Amino acid sequence: MNDLSFATIAELKVKLNNQEVYVDELLDFFIKRFNEHDEKVGSALEIFDKTSILEQFRAQGTPLSGIPGILKDNICQEGRLVSCASKILQNYRATYDASACKRLKRFGALPIGRANMDEFAMGSSTETSAFKKTKNPWNFECVPGGSSGGSAAAVAAGLIPWALGSDTGGSIRQPAAFCGVVGLKPTYGLVPRYGLIAYGSSLDQIGVFTRSVYDCALVFSSIAGYDLHDSSSLNARKKDYTQDITGKLKEDLRIGVVDNSLGADGMDQEVVSAVEQAIQVLEKAGAKIKRVELPTLEYSAASYFVISRAEAASNLARFDGVRYGMRDKDAKKLHDMYLNTRHDGFGQEVKTRIMVGNYVLSAGHAGRFYENAKRVQRMIRREFKNTFNDVDLLIMPTHPAPAFKFGAFDVDKLQMDLQDYFTCPMNLAGIPAISLPCGMTQNKMPIGFQLIGPHLSEGLIFQTAHVYEQNTKWHTIHPEGF
Amino acid sequence: MTKISREEVLKIAEISRIKLCEEEIEPMIRHLEGVLSYAECVQEIAADIEEPSIKNVNVFREDVVIKTDSEKILCQAPEREENYFVVPAIIETK
Repeated sequence: MNDLSFATIAELKVKLNNQEVYVDELLDFFIKRFNEHDEKVGSALEIFDKTSILEQFRAQGTPLSGIPGILKDNICQEGRLVSCASKILQNYRATYDASACKRLKRFGALPIGRANMDEFAMGSSTETSAFKKTKNPWNFECVPGGSSGGSAAAVAAGLIPWALGSDTGGSIRQPAAFCGVVGLKPTYGLVPRYGLIAYGSSLDQIGVFTRSVYDCALVFSSIAGYDLHDSSSLNARKKDYTQDITGKLKEDLRIGVVDNSLGADGMDQEVVSAVEQAIQVLEKAGAKIKRVELPTLEYSAASYFVISRAEAASNLARFDGVRYGMRDKDAKKLHDMYLNTRHDGFGQEVKTRIMVGNYVLSAGHAGRFYENAKRVQRMIRREFKNTFNDVDLLIMPTHPAPAFKFGAFDVDKLQMDLQDYFTCPMNLAGIPAISLPCGMTQNKMPIGFQLIGPHLSEGLIFQTAHVYEQNTKWHTIHPEGF
Repeated sequence: MTKISREEVLKIAEISRIKLCEEEIEPMIRHLEGVLSYAECVQEIAADIEEPSIKNVNVFREDVVIKTDSEKILCQAPEREENYFVVPAIIETK
């Protein structure tokens, strides 16, 4: 069999159709990829055995038939462990498939494992996982980003052609940029959250990692659309987003460049120049470029910070040692059992976020923090809406600087939180954004930028992103040693 | 600058149902003060602006009972007895 490590889904589909390769060979191949290389990277918490994967395979002639992928470990896969990379859920088995997982299986895809992540998706480096560190395939001294770091690293290292992640404040786009792959955070409500273990419910959204824009549209098409089980699900019809990929830009496409993001304090100059080059590529391809400002951007991270912690505190109240997960078995009284279970079961970052969340929601502080944060969120929404009257899409960097080293923010945790600076505004506004590779630093670390659109503009985003991709080579460069 | 007292952090820990060991209290206070002082900037612009909130709508669906195997759920409990979850004593006996 030829080396299929970095083949796209589109290429794998052709090979399967032509019977150059069979489903179980392909599965063997990718399981072997993890066996051979994941000791170095640490992207997966578990790779399932072949027999149990094939037992679930029921669809032939479907769009993702026989294509293996991996799911972030906060997405339920029936009968499999789902730990959120937390000790408190270490031995918990999902009792049903998340809607996204169910749809993928229906489309013939083969989920083959569980990807490492920051505990309960809280972090920007995958360092808060209770179980292992995931390394950046481009440089093992650097983090892969987070919280969906395992998903991003596995796709970047060619261990798997696609992965699902979740994005609450940038957890798909930032690791995609750090690892040099494509990462999409869809419109809020377009991919059902049923079966996604909640962090910040009004912000959480499942999305896709791939190595090409077409592949991203393909996987996304299988998971998007209305779901009865999710009350925040949008009434959107299922569609094939690969149809939007025409190879040409929309006529008279207007793209706004968010100037105050590129000029923000602390921006790495290599990132700025890579994003400027990406803008030129799109301009040369025919897009009209306009420079715009989003003044409220400066306050997004603080607003996101408050809202996400508040929702996390509420969502994580359910982990009480009663119905599932770990329990402190020595406690004699119920109250002590709660306190000890949560003390021992949650990691430091999670406990801190719960504390912050309950502080900003508590009597006397809610007005100052939570209500003001929600007001800022509404301002950001309006600002985006007004801006999209003048332009079709927006461009911003995905991250202020390339992937950092392990432990870089151990002392200054606030700086770690500010990793969300360019990504969380879209979660606050509920709008879609894709991160695309747009360059490499001198130290050979990937750089990414975001294409951002109004609600339900995924089609236009794919169309534009694909044209960009066709005019660059970044998606064809892969880390060495894999 | 948000200042947080020892009593306050213990109260929040209690609300959060998270035990704080003695050596965890000081670092937690310092961390909370740091991040909350940053988060306070939401007040700067939000204070004078009235931005109407988006009306929330209730979403309903039919209450249909779907047959599920409760054993799959119950067997994951740390402690159970038949169809019940077992917890430590709730009411103290004197």
